[in-house]
Amino acid sequence: MPIGNTQPSVRPALAGRTGGPAVDPAARRRPARRAGSGGGLRAERLAPYILVAPAVLIIVLLRLYPLLLGVNFSFTGDGTRNGTAVGIDNYRELLTDPLFRTALGNVGWLVLLLPVAVAIPGLLATFIYLRVPGHRVYRSVYFFPAVLSPVIVGAIFNLLLAFDGPVNAVLGAVGVPPTDWLGNPDIAMFVVVGVHVWATFGMSLVVFLAGFATLDSALLDAARVDGASLPQVIRHVIIPGLSRTIQFVFVTTMIGMLTSMFGLLYVMTSGGPEGSTYLPEYYIWIQQGQMNRPALASAASTVLFVIMLVVGLLQIQLLRRAGKES
Amino acid sequence: MKQRALWSAALVVGLVTMAGCGSATGSGNSSGGSADKLVVWDWKSGEASAAQYLDKAKADFAKKHPDVTVEFVAQPFDQYYTLLGAAIQAGKGPDVMLFNGGGQIRDRVDALVPLDEYVAEDKQRLAGWDAFTSDGKTYAGPVTLQGHPIYYNKALYAKAGLDPATPATTWSKFLADCTAIARAGAKCFALGNKEGVGIQFWLSALGSGILTAQEYDDWIAGKRDWNSPNVKRVFALWKEAGEAGLNNDGANSTAMFNDSFAIFQSGKAAHIIGLMSDVGHWKDFNEFLTPENLGVMSAPVVTEGTTPSLAYDGGIGYAVAKWTKDPKIAADLVRSLTSTDALKAFYADAGAVAADTTIDVSQGGAAVAGIVSELKGGKPALHVALSSKTIDLMGRLSQQLLSGSITVDEVVKQLAASDQAG
Repeated sequence: MPIGNTQPSVRPALAGRTGGPAVDPAARRRPARRAGSGGGLRAERLAPYILVAPAVLIIVLLRLYPLLLGVNFSFTGDGTRNGTAVGIDNYRELLTDPLFRTALGNVGWLVLLLPVAVAIPGLLATFIYLRVPGHRVYRSVYFFPAVLSPVIVGAIFNLLLAFDGPVNAVLGAVGVPPTDWLGNPDIAMFVVVGVHVWATFGMSLVVFLAGFATLDSALLDAARVDGASLPQVIRHVIIPGLSRTIQFVFVTTMIGMLTSMFGLLYVMTSGGPEGSTYLPEYYIWIQQGQMNRPALASAASTVLFVIMLVVGLLQIQLLRRAGKES
Repeated sequence: MKQRALWSAALVVGLVTMAGCGSATGSGNSSGGSADKLVVWDWKSGEASAAQYLDKAKADFAKKHPDVTVEFVAQPFDQYYTLLGAAIQAGKGPDVMLFNGGGQIRDRVDALVPLDEYVAEDKQRLAGWDAFTSDGKTYAGPVTLQGHPIYYNKALYAKAGLDPATPATTWSKFLADCTAIARAGAKCFALGNKEGVGIQFWLSALGSGILTAQEYDDWIAGKRDWNSPNVKRVFALWKEAGEAGLNNDGANSTAMFNDSFAIFQSGKAAHIIGLMSDVGHWKDFNEFLTPENLGVMSAPVVTEGTTPSLAYDGGIGYAVAKWTKDPKIAADLVRSLTSTDALKAFYADAGAVAADTTIDVSQGGAAVAGIVSELKGGKPALHVALSSKTIDLMGRLSQQLLSGSITVDEVVKQLAASDQAG
């Protein structure tokens, strides 16, 4: 039983690890070599590969292979050119398609709006932490939208924001002229992002509250004794104390915005008006499902993948730097 | 670091060698089916309103082939063509399947049997064949017709002091009527253009009063002159109607399905360009407005000398798959599914204008009787002739026209470019 053989050899290594980072990695490896002598050596060498094989196979077969297939398809044609290599024609078409450019531009807007999407739950969590009157009620009320599906949220806001809907009626009552919230190409994207933030900030709020739990209250008390105002407390005590939490929320909010707006867009605007609320995901879906252009959709997917890769790597970089600082 | 570079290099090499192989949709060939059993795919048979229709069709088929059993499999409509595409590729498809007319069936004729020799007797009795025809061959028997009549609310006409029995026949008279209707507190058109569908209905419903007969036929035949003043007029009128406040507020954020229909049904607007079958049609409107108050009018004449006609095509129809064992038996099932008795039940229960023009519709109210009487002189709808890409673009441009951020000239220029690109 080769795996049984390896067990004792692993233990000293583990013990070495618990001993602290001072242990030399080479020294850690040595006892393992000694124990696994003869026929056991081969098995021992193979063991790690066998053990990681299930995970690697799943990743390779269900993630990497489809990814490569998709990239591959993006270099083939659609319709009558189905199955023939067309080089970078699809990418050239994407670049010249104003709709795809709008979709990419909207991704830019999402990145710009990210600080707002993070600040709102952060600020509200601060108020709850500082125990504003009724903070217990707010804590549960704020979380409530997070359990609703995007389709339901979209349907609710479709009714609220309709031209003859309640929001315009209330504004009309105080003398504000009605706005076509979802029909005006200049504001529709911001309305949808606003609804998305409303629907998802509950989760970030919980993360912030968890972060507050680790905050040293003595610092807050000290600041108060020194006569710091609320903005000063936030600026000099809370934000530095929560820097890792804030970074985590940044990353998760960005991912949420880029990957889970489809439901809302589908229900609220269908990419309109005038194509102003297209996001790459929605574009891919339209090309694949409505226009019967799977190869072009593959090209758009590849572009989206590269964008996500760059954003993801940047964020990992950021987190790593933050980790070193703390 | 070196190893990582090596891996990246390997990945790049792999990608480059693989790039452009295979295809995104695949290309399978198919065979399947069974001699004593026919499998039918559709998205209708699960509905209670289609039960009678299917019973009648099955009984008719059983008379002809008592030893053949028929199984109906209802698929969800939103995934229907995806499932069908997969079945066609896998070669385990149904023997008979339901199709929407136009592009959906024309894209898949490779997998279908031409039915001309089997359905010759039905050619006169049924209408809407064109939508199921490709390169001169017929691939499906039409069940319903789909088109775009202009419905109007007679009660609102009376309230505005207009004669409900004589709607306007010219555009200028129509505009005058709209002014009267506005004074009575209602909008002229219920319009939902959130999906960009409103312009398709507009083009097809009003086109016959704007384009000359020659232009109309050329358009359908694929010879479209986007620079013709009459084509521009279609889009100019759309823009003018929006600017003159004929439409309900917020048309660009109102869904055609089904918010705009609700506006018409609730009497907030006097006209709507609706459908003939399935939704947004005479049967739905009858329920809310009562059959007495629902009228259908011809397109007002915009260009002098034009003769307005009803725009319609074959709606849905049954086709026979290439891999069925005996196409003759399957074609007989299609004939049973389009028999007069069966279609009569479909018309009465599902509220569709059936393809059979001999069905008596006088019980359904004035609107449906008006539609059926127009079928003889009707023509294919203009927007159906356009590619899905051009239609998508037209939807977005129509929204820009309503918001005033584009000119008519620019619209026809972009549409012409898209149309010519295929």
